[in-house]
Amino acid sequence: MSKRKRPEPKSSSSGINEDEKNILGLIRSKQGKGATTSEMRSATSIQQSLITKAITSLKKSKLIKEVPNMNNKGIKHFLAVEFEPCKELTGGDWYIDGALDVSKIEGLKEICVKILERCERAKKVVTLDVVYKYFDKDGGDGDQLSREQIREILKNLVLDNVVMEVKSNGLSGFSATRIGEICYKLTGKKGCGGGGGEARDGAFALVPCGVCPHIGICTPDGLISPMTCVYFQKWLDF
Amino acid sequence: MTTEFGIVYAGHIITSHFGSVVSKVCDCLLRRGPLSSREISRLAESDINHNKVKDILSLLIQHNCVQAFSVEPPDGSESKATVQYIALFNSILHRERYSKFSKVVKEELGPECVDVLDGLLSNGRLTLEQMIDRDRDRDSKGSEVIKDSLEKLVAARFVERVPSPEPVLGNKEEGPAKKRGGKASKIFKEPETLEERVLEAATPVDAIRFPFIFEQDSSSTLADEDSNISEGKRKQPEVDSSGPSNEVIWRPNFEELIRRLRHKACVEIVKERRDEGCANVLKAMLEVGRSQEKKAKPDKSVPVSMGSIYEELIKTEAGREMTQERVEACLEQLSATSSYLPAFVIESDDSYIVDFKSIISVAQKDEMESVVMRRYGKEAFRMFRYLSQEDRFVETDKIADAALTEKKDTPQILLKMWKDGYLHMQKLAVTGVYMPFLLWKVNKLIVSRQMLDEMYHASLNLSLRLTHEKGSEKELLLLPMEKLEGALKERRNKYRAKSVLLASTKFKLDDAIMLFHDF
Ligand code: SF4
Repeated sequence: MSKRKRPEPKSSSSGINEDEKNILGLIRSKQGKGATTSEMRSATSIQQSLITKAITSLKKSKLIKEVPNMNNKGIKHFLAVEFEPCKELTGGDWYIDGALDVSKIEGLKEICVKILERCERAKKVVTLDVVYKYFDKDGGDGDQLSREQIREILKNLVLDNVVMEVKSNGLSGFSATRIGEICYKLTGKKGCGGGGGEARDGAFALVPCGVCPHIGICTPDGLISPMTCVYFQKWLDF
Repeated sequence: MTTEFGIVYAGHIITSHFGSVVSKVCDCLLRRGPLSSREISRLAESDINHNKVKDILSLLIQHNCVQAFSVEPPDGSESKATVQYIALFNSILHRERYSKFSKVVKEELGPECVDVLDGLLSNGRLTLEQMIDRDRDRDSKGSEVIKDSLEKLVAARFVERVPSPEPVLGNKEEGPAKKRGGKASKIFKEPETLEERVLEAATPVDAIRFPFIFEQDSSSTLADEDSNISEGKRKQPEVDSSGPSNEVIWRPNFEELIRRLRHKACVEIVKERRDEGCANVLKAMLEVGRSQEKKAKPDKSVPVSMGSIYEELIKTEAGREMTQERVEACLEQLSATSSYLPAFVIESDDSYIVDFKSIISVAQKDEMESVVMRRYGKEAFRMFRYLSQEDRFVETDKIADAALTEKKDTPQILLKMWKDGYLHMQKLAVTGVYMPFLLWKVNKLIVSRQMLDEMYHASLNLSLRLTHEKGSEKELLLLPMEKLEGALKERRNKYRAKSVLLASTKFKLDDAIMLFHDF
């Protein structure tokens, strides 16, 4: 979230003209989200060329900064220096310096799978709360995770087909949960589709043509054909 | 659902079984739809004259790849109905599955019945007399055995009497002006394609299609019965009795053979995703409900009671090991849903219904997702699964957020899948925003069609490569194996390994094709 580091700077804005003052006011009012040039134009009805000039001068005087929008590349937002860009601009909790923190995500996913394995061995039903408590206990590295973040990680594992969501029916195995509460289980399909899985790999994906980038241009008597193609050659190399 | 490569593949099958001239006629029908024999000789190449076309059509009819029909001329019209021919795409593809059909029959009825079925599969259509003659030329089991086997095959519906050689379609039903909706249309669902209409009109009622022939030997008695039984059917079929001896002609019943493969596939899917116990219970349910399946591929089975499931189960050894309590637990498991698996069985009152569609959709989904995974990677796999789950248009950044993938890379990955026809895309222009928003969706029907086309293509490729491998080792294959030594022997072994891999892959790929097309 955006944080105000300095409340209302004193009129360091002395020496700036009327247009700049108006624009700065608008930008400040938008806090961590900042304003785009088109927003400035429609809010202040100042001409585009004057807006550009004002922005350059405000930047020079270190009153505003430019922040790219992670969600909408190509659109620049201008923030007053005292504000941090909001989640919408940075991309969210999982982004650091504009890039997705993949290693952190993958690490957390691994931990979640371990927690699930441990619980399943102990025949314990896993809800979001259970995972959250584990992290609360173990996560002493100062990197506090929110419940929402853990939910996102679990959801991601569901999309990986490593974990499944099951609604509790309150019966036998679920007696410790509310009816309708979402519980998490391992699908048994480790490594998202590769190796040791419980569900089979599709038959088509195992044919070279199933994963071939040239299937669209491969014809029986064309330049790329099953008689000459390298993929078959490699596959049939005994 | 026929696709471009489906047609090419069907043409390839016909070429390899009957030669290129026959294939030209068949291709003409596959591409242009129903045609008269005159039209075919005009459209096919000039070296195939009208008489030749007629011969080819007879051959294709004999092998159940083509069906003739005519359309009733409009009321008051003087003109005579012309006979048209329609290619039966499914039956052509079934030619590659004969070994699967034989296996089904072998497991259920034993090797003698398989011999009779194999005779029908390789000859298309035969009379009992022809079957007996065929047996005499081989290892002669005797006419009684053949007759007995045929009887069993007909009783199990694996073999049927040939359909009407030339059914007449009612002219009125042609127009698309039929009002949809309303009570009547809900009950009597209209057949959708012309092929389905023709086949329905050609198929006699069950009592004629699967008669208890062997009670009375004379086929004339049968012919008398025909008209009585088929009364009340929309179009009265004329059962083909034009054979030389005026005997009943038989052919394999693909509908039933495919039904068994469909059931077997469902049991396998359940076994892999649940366990052996659940698979046994499902198998028993399918067995109980089978005779009541009215359509070729119903979405759901009829309701079956716990009692009848148990009764069926204890007929088998594996089933006898299960207590009623265990069966109940399996049924509970089969009815459970999660984000991973839908319910395979629906509980209604005190009975249970098998949800074929949901079982098959699980295997289809796995096929699609594993292609996405291997072709486009892990991130794409997550996006694809997310979009399938959402089943609506979602904006690029929302997808990146949900799948936790790098925002910069997301559009490229989505675009790649879209280019190959695996995603649907819509542009949404918003005033004040420079770039239009891109919205994405998985349209299961389009993906299935795309995959099916690619699978036909792959099957064709495997087949062509197999022929190519065989062709390039022609001389080597002529030499007796035991005489081969050293490098030659090694080459022969390599050839063997290659052809086994190609053939077995094609066999499995065909299972996947059936999953999308026939089940
Ligand atoms: S035959 Fe070769 S080039 Fe053609 S689609 Fe298959 S793998 Fe690709």
